[in-house]
Amino acid sequence: MSEKKKSYLTGKEIRAIAKENAKIIKRLEAYKNRKAEEAEFLTQMHDDANILEIDDLHTFFFTEQGVVKAVNGVSYSVPKNAVVGVVGESGCGKSVTSMSVMRLIQGPAGQIVDGSIRFKSHEYKRDAKGEPVKDENGNYEMEDKVYDIAKMPISEIHRIRGKQVAMIFQEPMTSLNPVFTIGQQLDEVTFIHTPGATKEMAKAKSEEMLRLVGIIPENVYNAFPHELSGGMRQRVMIAMALAAEPRLIIADEPTTALDVTIQAQILDLLQDIKNKIDGSILLITHDLGVIAEMADFVVVMYAGKVIEQGTVYEIFQNPMHPYTVGLQKSKPTMTLDDGVELYNIPGNVPNPINMPDHCYFKERCAKCTAKCSGEYPGMIQVSPTHYVACHLYNEEDSNNG
Amino acid sequence: MEELKNQENVSQEAVDTELPLDKNVRLMSPTQMLVRRFFRSKLSIIGLVMVIGLFVFSFLGPLVYTQWGETDLDESGKLEYTTATTTYTVGGVEYTLHQTVEKTMKDNFLAAPSAEHPLGTDNQGYDVLARLMYGGRVSLIVSFMTVILLTVLGVIIGGIAGYFGGAVDNVIMRICDILMCLPGIPILLIISSAMDGWVSLGWVEEGMRIYILMLFLTMISWPGTARLVRGQILSLREQEYMVAAEAMGFSTGRKIFKHLVPNVMPQLIVQMSLSLGSMILYEATLSYLNMGIKAPYTAWGSMINIITTDPNILQNYLNVWVPAGVCIVIAVLGFNFVGDGLRDALDPKGRR
Amino acid sequence: MAEEILNAPQYDDAALEKEYLEKRKAQIEEDYKEPFDPDVVLEVRHLRKCFPMKKTITGKVTKELVAVDDVSFKLKAGETLGIVGESGCGKTTTGRAILKLHEPTAGQIIFDGKDITHYNSSQMRSIRKQMQIIFQDPYSSLPPRSTVGGILSEPVEVHKIVPKDQVKNYVLELMDKCGLRDYYYERYPHEFSGGQRQRICIARALSVNPKLVICDEPVSALDVSIQAQIINLLKKLQRERNLAYVFISHDLSVVKFISDKIGVMYLGAMMEFGTKEDIFRNPLHPYTKALFSAVPNPDPTAKTERIKLEGDIPSPANPPKGCRFHTRCPYAKEVCKHVPPEYKEYEEGHFAACHLLDGE
Repeated sequence: MSEKKKSYLTGKEIRAIAKENAKIIKRLEAYKNRKAEEAEFLTQMHDDANILEIDDLHTFFFTEQGVVKAVNGVSYSVPKNAVVGVVGESGCGKSVTSMSVMRLIQGPAGQIVDGSIRFKSHEYKRDAKGEPVKDENGNYEMEDKVYDIAKMPISEIHRIRGKQVAMIFQEPMTSLNPVFTIGQQLDEVTFIHTPGATKEMAKAKSEEMLRLVGIIPENVYNAFPHELSGGMRQRVMIAMALAAEPRLIIADEPTTALDVTIQAQILDLLQDIKNKIDGSILLITHDLGVIAEMADFVVVMYAGKVIEQGTVYEIFQNPMHPYTVGLQKSKPTMTLDDGVELYNIPGNVPNPINMPDHCYFKERCAKCTAKCSGEYPGMIQVSPTHYVACHLYNEEDSNNG
Repeated sequence: MEELKNQENVSQEAVDTELPLDKNVRLMSPTQMLVRRFFRSKLSIIGLVMVIGLFVFSFLGPLVYTQWGETDLDESGKLEYTTATTTYTVGGVEYTLHQTVEKTMKDNFLAAPSAEHPLGTDNQGYDVLARLMYGGRVSLIVSFMTVILLTVLGVIIGGIAGYFGGAVDNVIMRICDILMCLPGIPILLIISSAMDGWVSLGWVEEGMRIYILMLFLTMISWPGTARLVRGQILSLREQEYMVAAEAMGFSTGRKIFKHLVPNVMPQLIVQMSLSLGSMILYEATLSYLNMGIKAPYTAWGSMINIITTDPNILQNYLNVWVPAGVCIVIAVLGFNFVGDGLRDALDPKGRR
Repeated sequence: MAEEILNAPQYDDAALEKEYLEKRKAQIEEDYKEPFDPDVVLEVRHLRKCFPMKKTITGKVTKELVAVDDVSFKLKAGETLGIVGESGCGKTTTGRAILKLHEPTAGQIIFDGKDITHYNSSQMRSIRKQMQIIFQDPYSSLPPRSTVGGILSEPVEVHKIVPKDQVKNYVLELMDKCGLRDYYYERYPHEFSGGQRQRICIARALSVNPKLVICDEPVSALDVSIQAQIINLLKKLQRERNLAYVFISHDLSVVKFISDKIGVMYLGAMMEFGTKEDIFRNPLHPYTKALFSAVPNPDPTAKTERIKLEGDIPSPANPPKGCRFHTRCPYAKEVCKHVPPEYKEYEEGHFAACHLLDGE
């Protein structure tokens, strides 16, 4: 009985947590819902070649049982016209990071607590009244602006969402509205994001997008979502994401729910599209194979932190963090020899409430040293593009020791 | 090289290594979670206070307020004055005669609220407060019994329909459909009239009337619960742990009562607390229509029924019937609030 | 062009179907008469499972969904049979039909030298403890309102595996074998992560000392690092207890790792069957080849040439005539559209169903 009691929170602690949460949530909600001048959330990129820079982002969930630090100081950037793959196991915060970029974190429990998300948008130039400005040829003028999405009030987020950053979800079955035809849903995107769009323009655009994703528009334009197969729906979702000509497409596990042969089709399609559009893709997945095929840069996340990042060759041919190494070895591959025992990382991901101060991977790590019980390791640069957060590669220490 | 070797060892042992549940991390127990969610809503707290208040009032109240019992008439007597005015003409001159008759009545009826009778007395001379307490007992007991009975009936019948499916399910569901078409109150009216006959023949005791009526009510109101249980079981039956139980070769009874029913409990508890409200209303309606409990015993509905005997009471003696009405409202609201709160607490998906 | 069309073989689909069915019926009758192989734990002969889709008012079935069509294999103790296929290929239905969780429509299931096809439910109950199942979703496969101890001791008590006073010790020992700490005994499933829950499921399946375990996508819902733990655990337990596994998965690399024999299914039918070596060294069926090449390779330098499959998997309710795979097969010929290919042995113990293999 006492053992049982010890493992649960007491009523007093529960009330203390609830009180603390309510205080923080109230402050953050007020910040989120405030009215703000544009100048307040305009900023500058640190590197002009990037279109997205996530800098020390903290996204927490204030639950009844304690604070879940889902994203705990994540920094990475997405260069222009590149595919960045974020890989990690469930609960590592890869999806929460992307949801933070879209500001889709479910409040009031989920809140962006700290950090910045700088995004370079390419949008219609607007006058003081908010009307788009035309140049002398009668075309709409475009301009680049850098927003800090984390500081934007929620009422301004429509500037980014859908138009500049589009999202492809895992579940193609539920991401389309079942009561509208594919055509209606695609046209709507154009209506919302293009000023002065006519019905004909929208339809032409939709058909163009459907062709781009390898669908013959005549067959699908007037169809309802339930008439399509999973693979087709995922194609439609991609077409919808592309219709607004976004700068950044976030693909959150786009092929996980699909069969292998259909997944191969969608991956080929994404490869193809990557070269055709003027934008970057942020690909989130747990499948190393998909990352290896698609990505230019790879970010490996574990328990809310980035533990290693680099180009796809660096990560796959010279993985440095023991977790990255373990992850690659524990996946059985088609070329693996028989008979050997599969390498596995022992244990489980630590509980996201009350994370320890030391390296989160310490308990599961085969190479851990005395140093690992110290504070959380910082990012160490091992090549111009390759970073790793592990004490094993800390030059100074190894020299001293 | 040594490192590599080290890793090999780890992989050999890894099968057996399982990190303990994090000792630093303490979560909430299921009960704590439930309680926390229930009490987060102000309405559920209000509901719970109302319900508990009524119970304390009805069941513990008479132990404290002992001056008057349920059937104690205040026989202290009452002076009643009747004024009659007679007009007659004698020799072209009109006379008006005012005559006041002082009559000593046996019972002190329709007394105004006073120290002796905090809520006054009714038209018979019963103490309203005491009657309110004893009436509450009847109302609460009757509705509780009905709800428990109809839940048991619903679980058994719905469980059979849901688990066996096919023709059994079809037959039971059609019976449900038919029962749901029957209008409750008219049927009870008929049965009550019939019961007048049975009482006079001595087949049933007068005091049992309300219980028998509610038994009939149970007989026609189980389909709601049965449908709920059947629906739940149909969806639970597809859950993999039920397939696992099947694969384990468990007997049918074990599967239904050890695996299915406990998982229907949350919805059942919600359903029960919501139907408690409606059963209180039914009981009140029956008593109001004078088909429920009969004098000298009482229930909340019967106390309101008094207004039908004399319009004067409806207008001038609010203390006689309003308290009973308030009690009914509090009971129904309270059970509904608690039911809603329980539903939100037991079904995490329904929350925001 | 015109000549080609004229000279093309003419097919009378109805006649062909009739001929095919008759031939198959004769073959099945013959196979049923074969004696049971005593070394084999599980033998499945021509298993077929149909689900009614449309019924008339009198309950007569007018349209059927053929979920599993003519699946046969043998499995010895200590062996693992991997069944791979995409969604809707009938692999899960096959697994459940073997356990008679779905009543098979036709075919024979021979378990441990006994034909259990026509066992009724009370006869099945006595044999249930010898065949167990592990599910894909570790969240829905454990009853939420029982403790781990309760979940594990219930089958032990019901089947009287050990005397009553030893149940707890037995369960604790089992938990230890499956890598579960003893103090989990009092805990509820919702407190555990997916991997730990899957360990509980494995412990529950093994609590009754089965000979055969059907693993229905046991690692698909788990993270990569946890997957490896569970696969190793399954392999270790197999070595210790000489278990036979039927391992159902859509993940080829996992199936390759754990299986001795592999069956590839597509739209309810077995496309290819053989030992792991045969299947991977020399895949015969174009679908098997395409499936292999579709798996993304976690090596950015290797650019694999894919056999592209066009289009979607047809609905199992309306499978194509002839060879089921012809709508997506890059090598399909005219004959494939009309005549169902015969499921034949091409090498010793290596079966396939494809017209291309009877090549000209």
